[in-house]
Amino acid sequence: MTDTPQPSAPNAETPSAPVTPPAAEPLPTIVTPSNKEVVIIAEHFKGTLQPVTYELLGIGRDLADKLGGKLSCFLLGFNIKEQAQSLIAAGADEVYLADHPELELYRTLPYKRVITEFIKGWELPPHIVLLGSSTTGRDLAPRVAACLGTGLTADCTELDIGPYEHTNKADPDKLGIYPGCLYAIRPSFGESLKARILGPWNNPQMATARPGTFIPLKPDANRTGVVTDIPINLQGEDFRLSVLEIVHEISKGVDLADAEVIVSGGYGLGSADGFKLMEELAACFKNSGVGASRKVVDVGWIPYQNQIGQTGKTVRPKLYIACGISGAIQHRVGMDKSTTIIAINKDASAPIFKFAHHGIVGDVYQVVPELIAQLKAAQGSCPTVKEPALV
Amino acid sequence: MTTPQNVLVMIKQVPDQSAKAGINPDGTIDRAKAKRMLNPFDRFGLQGALTVKKLTGAKVTAITMGPPPAVEILLEALSQGVDKCILLSDRRLAASDTWATSYALSKVIEYTGPFDLIFCGLQTTDGDTAQVGPEIAERLNLPQVSYCEDFKLEDGKFLARRVMEGGHQWVSMAMPGLVTVANSYHHLEYPSIRGVQKVQRLQRDEEALKALIETVDLDIVKADPKECGLKGSPTIVARTDKVGELGGSCVLHQGETIPTMVRDVMGAASALKEFALA
Ligand SMILES: Cc1cc2nc3c(=O)[nH]c(=O)nc-3n(C[C@H](O)[C@H](O)[C@H](O)COP(=O)(O)OP(=O)(O)OC[C@H]3O[C@@H](n4cnc5c(N)ncnc54)[C@H](O)[C@@H]3O)c2cc1C
Repeated sequence: MTDTPQPSAPNAETPSAPVTPPAAEPLPTIVTPSNKEVVIIAEHFKGTLQPVTYELLGIGRDLADKLGGKLSCFLLGFNIKEQAQSLIAAGADEVYLADHPELELYRTLPYKRVITEFIKGWELPPHIVLLGSSTTGRDLAPRVAACLGTGLTADCTELDIGPYEHTNKADPDKLGIYPGCLYAIRPSFGESLKARILGPWNNPQMATARPGTFIPLKPDANRTGVVTDIPINLQGEDFRLSVLEIVHEISKGVDLADAEVIVSGGYGLGSADGFKLMEELAACFKNSGVGASRKVVDVGWIPYQNQIGQTGKTVRPKLYIACGISGAIQHRVGMDKSTTIIAINKDASAPIFKFAHHGIVGDVYQVVPELIAQLKAAQGSCPTVKEPALV
Repeated sequence: MTTPQNVLVMIKQVPDQSAKAGINPDGTIDRAKAKRMLNPFDRFGLQGALTVKKLTGAKVTAITMGPPPAVEILLEALSQGVDKCILLSDRRLAASDTWATSYALSKVIEYTGPFDLIFCGLQTTDGDTAQVGPEIAERLNLPQVSYCEDFKLEDGKFLARRVMEGGHQWVSMAMPGLVTVANSYHHLEYPSIRGVQKVQRLQRDEEALKALIETVDLDIVKADPKECGLKGSPTIVARTDKVGELGGSCVLHQGETIPTMVRDVMGAASALKEFALA
């Protein structure tokens, strides 16, 4: 994305620019040619479609209806034909199927070639192409965008269609009203701002969408759609990378990288003793561990192995509870991929609240004991049969 | 078989968002006033390049694009052990999006000459897109490994461990190729005292510094100005909106009693109960 909303280019070369129309003259309406189609690139792992694909079909259906175009979906893989029907049930009008042994596992170059060569063969380009902002989508999307010579907005949390009026005289060639633009909306700058990014000068307009943000349609087995086999012309240079192995990490206890729940303490704990409370909270969860900010490691309250952040570990637990941590960027880069982040901090303006999902403004020494008490009460209230082996 | 001899590393200077200076009330950044720093993610890219240097004796060239103060991060790179630096600085680059940036940087890379590996940080903290690396790879027709969190060199191949949802994969890439390094790469080293002293000496010796940090503009690297900056960018920020007082999607509980706030969070954050010990 454009990285700063600059007011205008300071170097605008007005002398060489064409005469700009007087202010009174209405702006021309400019339509960049497209076939109005919205295209999703499906993501699957060994044939299992990923949730983000259904989410994209949900929002994609909405965008396609607003444009009056169709919703299609690329499905590349091996022995994957049956999945085409679930894409149709989830909203797709047409599935572009590439079924080939070399496409079984995602690899950048073969996938990029099949998709871009197919789109380049169309008389008119699609209007929109969307991918998930997963490790796969963020790998593939920039290659597809650069290959098609078009813009791309990363990690959107909202997508919409609407007009755009370009009045920036620093860029006079673009003056005009553009109907039907993709509004790619995403947080920026530590997420305190939402930026609406668009690029109606080229089609397709592309974006990746943050997994978990959009709502899938209810699958409808009665929906009908077309499945089209598309050409696959892989070249030798597409195999410059091969996948050697895929490792699924299974949790095995205390290692922070594998913990599903991490309770992290920062300088707000006030002393090394505070980590006893962190351990007590962590002990309320299965497969949990205790993390820390660098500041408390530096003062020696806890060993370096527990440090999370830029110069410590990067973790991706299901639940991250940050206690008395300000949320400096160096800490954040090590934990912001956690599924749910809960922050407890007595300062309502602490940066951690800009990216946590749930925040409590309060003293750790009041909030954490209460949390422990309520967790224990909740456990008591829903009795579970103990495994005989544990008794 | 390739033993990497020439390694490039792409780095960027970004505003330090943890410092209050230069952060406007509306949340935008006043780049002139903001404190500047090396993009935190680029440390990992830099470390990757320097690790290859350690393994093969390769020459490492750091490349950045930015206004003249960006020289600060090049000095930092020199203190870490980089051999040479190139600064692309040109007012015509203002307001470049990732597409225009990747164009300008690919021109600098072509100007720099043959290379075996290009290292990038995964993403920047100010743009947050993770797009520039792969877009450079596309423009230069290179294979890529994004989200690399560890690697080794074996039989002339770049073997990389790549982050994936719920695990990782090992891939083997032919060189030349491009790598974006994730922040889970665990081998960060800090500049040695000797490195820092070397740079301090350099700063007193303008001639020596010039030999190590080459400043280029669009004309020197034969880049078409029409492809750069605002005019060359296919995307623009049409508008920005402030996201609530505290930003983000955080549901903030304050001002109520502790038990009430805890109960509300227990109700809203299903993970708390899901992972609680039965
Ligand atoms: C190159 C570099 C690398 C770095 N790497 C890392 C890294 O890997 N990991 C890392 O974490 N940091 C790292 N840092 C440091 C980082 O910038 C911060 O300084 C650090 O994360 C701050 O730690 P903190 O949040 O615990 O402390 P502080 O910033 O001091 O925050 C303490 C917080 O606790 C709150 N608080 C105080 N008392 C209470 C109370 N009683 N109840 C509730 N809240 C309370 C305060 O409001 C405050 O927000 C790095 C810095 C640099 C320059």
